[in-house]
Amino acid sequence: MNGLETRRRPTRIILWAALAAVLVLYGFPFVYLLLTSFKTPLDAIAVPPQVLPSQWTLDNYVAALSKEGVVPALINSVATAVLSTAFSLALGVPAAYAITRFRTPSGRIFVVAALVTRMVPTIAVGAPLVETMRRLGISDTTIGLAIAHTTISLPLSIWLMSSFFEAVPIELEEAAKVDGSDRLQAFRHVVLPVVSGGLAVTAIFAFLASWNEFLFALLLTSVRAQTTPIVIANFQTQFGLDWGGMTALSAVYSVPVILLTLALQRHIVAGLTLGAVKG
Amino acid sequence: MRLTDRRFALVLIAPAALFLAAFVAWPLLRFVSNAFYEISPMAGGPRKFVGFENFATAFSSPAFQGAALRTIVYTVIVVALEFTFGLAVALVFAALGSRSAVFRTVFMYPLMVAPVVAGLLWRFLLIDNFGILNELLRRIGLLHSTDQIGWLSNPRIALFSVAMPDIWLTTSFITLVLFAGLQNVPGDVIEAARIDGVRFPTLLFRIILPLLRPVIAVALIVRGIDAARAFDIILIQTNGGPQDSTTTLSLLIYRTMTRNGDPGLASAMGTVYLIVMLAVAAVAIFAIWRPGGDEA
Repeated sequence: MNGLETRRRPTRIILWAALAAVLVLYGFPFVYLLLTSFKTPLDAIAVPPQVLPSQWTLDNYVAALSKEGVVPALINSVATAVLSTAFSLALGVPAAYAITRFRTPSGRIFVVAALVTRMVPTIAVGAPLVETMRRLGISDTTIGLAIAHTTISLPLSIWLMSSFFEAVPIELEEAAKVDGSDRLQAFRHVVLPVVSGGLAVTAIFAFLASWNEFLFALLLTSVRAQTTPIVIANFQTQFGLDWGGMTALSAVYSVPVILLTLALQRHIVAGLTLGAVKG
Repeated sequence: MRLTDRRFALVLIAPAALFLAAFVAWPLLRFVSNAFYEISPMAGGPRKFVGFENFATAFSSPAFQGAALRTIVYTVIVVALEFTFGLAVALVFAALGSRSAVFRTVFMYPLMVAPVVAGLLWRFLLIDNFGILNELLRRIGLLHSTDQIGWLSNPRIALFSVAMPDIWLTTSFITLVLFAGLQNVPGDVIEAARIDGVRFPTLLFRIILPLLRPVIAVALIVRGIDAARAFDIILIQTNGGPQDSTTTLSLLIYRTMTRNGDPGLASAMGTVYLIVMLAVAAVAIFAIWRPGGDEA
């Protein structure tokens, strides 16, 4: 409990009312997207617009999912995000551990460099990467896009994991070493299990960074490796202004991650606030 | 053979460092060096060294000046409104205490929505003639006809309108961070101020906000950088229009690179943008955050 909590009844009632108003305003846009996705195509662009569908239908979902390239793009999105998450964890976890545990000069330089990466405009990396991917022979492939997405999620993973490793008491490892384990064994069998919650948080954020990313996908893929955000964006040109289909595909793409968030909210709040609050 | 701690640390850091060197630092160097060349848009086309000519062209072009100004305005709108709204909601959550926990979760959901989805969704809400926002405003009597406000078609307000989904998308981040910061404000400090008869505005501006300073700094810097880089959320709503009124630097650079086919000029613009971002962020970090320094 904290000194900011108010116990005066009238104030509390006003605050609850204000909160309810905020939540309605905040929730409405997405609820309206869901409602529109169940309207008939004509209802979706009716003048004047109605909030509720006059007739509930799944037509938009059927039409959107049967469009050419939509299902492959969903598969690409999952594959790219999973691969990019794996890259970030494989590279970021050992680096974060070394940075927090040994505090060498190289580690400090590296933290600053990773922080700078966060400020770079995406296009300044994305445009030259087109050429790099071509040279490596991975243009328009899931692995190429996953590498590009890792440039975003790796600094984030290092930042998050460093905070989690910092919370592990060094005595724990020393005890393991006394028992005859070497540093690598101590890391794998003692430290990693302790930070498993942190690994989950980091994985979620790496996954989301890739899942929602747009500009790299636009620059680095054309047909084969295209992800869903690009397909959603194309609904407005390729197929005319198909608002019904767009809302249906957006719902398919967003609802799983929103549900995931609600299920794992404790972890996600930890990840979002961790670095910032520790300062 | 046993590695020293220093060597062991280096071995663990090296893969990540090499990855960032190959896929961030090297492309970035190439991008910056491209700014000094005139480059044919064709792959493998001719390159000619032109010194600072691209920079001169960029600085003297009204398109670049306009986009730079719009990027600043957009960033200020987004950060100022997100901070005000985010702080207000964080204070409401703190005042309501633990029973507001469920609602904190609900409030968080837009953070998971893809910016491209948020942009399209808001374009749909704001669109002329069948957008629901104007219709709802008409129903409650604020507008007498739904075409009274052309959110995305009126060049004078479009930059503000395109910022709305960005604000909707990430105010939750500010709220979460500030709420977590508020939990660390010592209760007895606030109790003491209350007993001394300090009123809420004074409490907020003289005690709470100064105590939250490092948290606020991090939240503003993170959001400021992201708002200044905003791309897909604007592209999808207006594609920079109407009449370039929403063309920020990231859109202008993208367009110069692709549609106008002038990678050299685009790189010069991007280089200036990058340097300014780094400078502003560095100043912000040292001036506001003052890591480890005590608040005077």
